[in-house]
Amino acid sequence: MLRISNLHVTIDDKPILKGLNLEMGPGELHAIMGPNGSGKSTLGYALAGREGYEITDGSVEFEGQDIAEMEPEERAAAGLFLAFQYPVEIPGVNNAYFLRAALNAQRKVRGEEEVDSMSFLKEVRESLKSLRMDESLLKRAVNEGFSGGEKKRNEIVQMAVLKPKLAILDETDSGLDIDALKLVAEGINRLRDDKRSFMVITHYQRLLEYLEPDHVHVLSDGRIVESGGKELAGRLEREGYAFLEEAEA
Amino acid sequence: MSALLERLAGEQQLPTDDFGDIRRRAQAALMQHGFPDLKTEDWKYTPLKLLEKREFSAEQAASSALREPGFKAVVLHFDNGLLNLDDLDLPAGLRIEPIGRESLERADYGDRAGAFAWLNLARFEQGLRLVIESDQDRPLVLALTTAEGFAADVHPRLEVEVAEGVSATLIDYQYDAGAGLVNRVTDVELARGARLNHVIRRGGGDSAWIERTVVNVNDEADYRVHVLDCGGRLTRQDLRVHLLAEGANGEIDGIGLVDTRQHIDYHTAIEHKVGHTNSRESFRLLGDGSGVGVFNGRIHIHKGADDSHSDLETANLLLSEHARINTKPELEIYAEEVTASHGATIGQLDDDAMFYLRSRGIPADAAGALLKYGFAAAPLEGTEPVEVKDWLLEELQRAL
Ligand SMILES: Nc1ncnc2c1ncn2[C@@H]1O[C@H](COP(=O)(O)OP(=O)(O)OP(=O)(O)O)[C@@H](O)[C@H]1O
Ligand SMILES: [Mg+2]
Repeated sequence: MLRISNLHVTIDDKPILKGLNLEMGPGELHAIMGPNGSGKSTLGYALAGREGYEITDGSVEFEGQDIAEMEPEERAAAGLFLAFQYPVEIPGVNNAYFLRAALNAQRKVRGEEEVDSMSFLKEVRESLKSLRMDESLLKRAVNEGFSGGEKKRNEIVQMAVLKPKLAILDETDSGLDIDALKLVAEGINRLRDDKRSFMVITHYQRLLEYLEPDHVHVLSDGRIVESGGKELAGRLEREGYAFLEEAEA
Repeated sequence: MSALLERLAGEQQLPTDDFGDIRRRAQAALMQHGFPDLKTEDWKYTPLKLLEKREFSAEQAASSALREPGFKAVVLHFDNGLLNLDDLDLPAGLRIEPIGRESLERADYGDRAGAFAWLNLARFEQGLRLVIESDQDRPLVLALTTAEGFAADVHPRLEVEVAEGVSATLIDYQYDAGAGLVNRVTDVELARGARLNHVIRRGGGDSAWIERTVVNVNDEADYRVHVLDCGGRLTRQDLRVHLLAEGANGEIDGIGLVDTRQHIDYHTAIEHKVGHTNSRESFRLLGDGSGVGVFNGRIHIHKGADDSHSDLETANLLLSEHARINTKPELEIYAEEVTASHGATIGQLDDDAMFYLRSRGIPADAAGALLKYGFAAAPLEGTEPVEVKDWLLEELQRAL
């Protein structure tokens, strides 16, 4: 599904990712943890193709294809999705309109027909309901005036509608109340099957307790420095990242 | 005499009627003050040179068609500026009559900054007074259109009166396909407790479009205007809202789009003449190609107009390095216990928003179009009733 080899990424010539290796198979859920500023969001942005995130060395293969030169919209149509740590407000653009435009743009690239508006709306409504979000959010501008938690849940709604092959969730659990966290976890679990993969960036073990990750990685200073099973998350929660320095020393 | 004076106010064939003295008075004022020049502060960005090069002909072109607005409305057609008064079919509570002498005699437009209003009076031809006496369930559309081949200068004059406690929606649909001059003077009066939803949808060809609108808002009356100006060769709109008595409310929301060879220029003023009056204004300009957009928004809270509130916000989007935008919000406060704020921002398309849309699969050009639309749609979101809002947003989408 995803093979990242020796990935080096710079922002404004400043090295942020410094030789990152990661492999994810289909249907797997990988958690990425790590201290503030270690490069987790940078990894997400680099995978999604954000301008200014320059790959200076190494490679990223998504389903066997090198994606380094692909535009963000091409990556999206190929099945990559990034739930933003800070979802962006887009004043004046209707949420439902935006989501449908996104879905249809992806379908067009894949040679599929446009969705009909009835079944589209039905699906979005169901998805909103399962996340206990008010339907009126559909008529509002994208993320504008949404509460922090509503923005995060809106990312999950988008994921549910766009049905990516690989979803990268950047701290989608941050800022959620306890009930919302559970709803979001359920939203993720509903989409899990033996093909779809997830990269879940988080600081907390709580979400992972619901998600049962296959692998947990620790990203520090632009590299994966430790990998393990879900018990690693528990250890980090108890001990913090101090042991990383000890290991390096 | 300047070239412009000669062209527009020289020898004219004018109707022989009772208004000769009124025209002569205006003509004298115009001759005395002249037209604005580059030193006239309020007009320094308006390229009147364009008019000096024009030959205006009195010949009438055919009328141009208005795209059906798609909602139920009462439509009055002003072909090439003038309303055809034959077979008018007006709903109950709506009356049209000629403008009375008295208001023409009272008219005073000051010095050269008021030259086009003086010109309008000097060339007075058709003046209409529209009286809205009871609530109107259908919006009233004043379709002022010019046809291809239109090369005349017309000087329509309009008065609108909304009676006590009455609510109405008035849509100025102004579409230009010609290359002349439309120079309109509009006076609006809202009686106690009246409410007017005013919509100005304007756009066009090569004509110069100059309009001076003054709105008097009396106690507890509420004036709201939404402007969608899709740009033309030259548009100059002066809009003055006078809050005359306690409880008066005035709101202006607008978006102006300019592209190559287009110039739009909005000068708005909200005058809080007494206390306990409220206003709000949000005006945006979107500049593309080599278009020029000018916005001057003045909020004036007069001495003694205590306990008044006002908010003025402007935002601009510059999409090309050749486009130009001039924005000047002005706040003048001479009263106490007043809250007022203003802000102005100029920007390009937001990178974060661009990436967000593209990361969802929307290609770059479509994402850019969506952001432009979102920027321009925001000031129109509050338009009422909803069918008019939907129509305005469709018009916007077509224009982008
Ligand atoms: N545009 C930028 N210009 C310069 N440095 C940047 C830029 N964006 C990110 N960085 C730096 O890159 C490093 C990694 O940032 P990143 O956002 O990837 O961290 P993170 O692991 O997601 O942290 P957090 O847990 O706080 O979200 C940080 O030191 C940050 O300051
Ligand atoms: Mg981050």
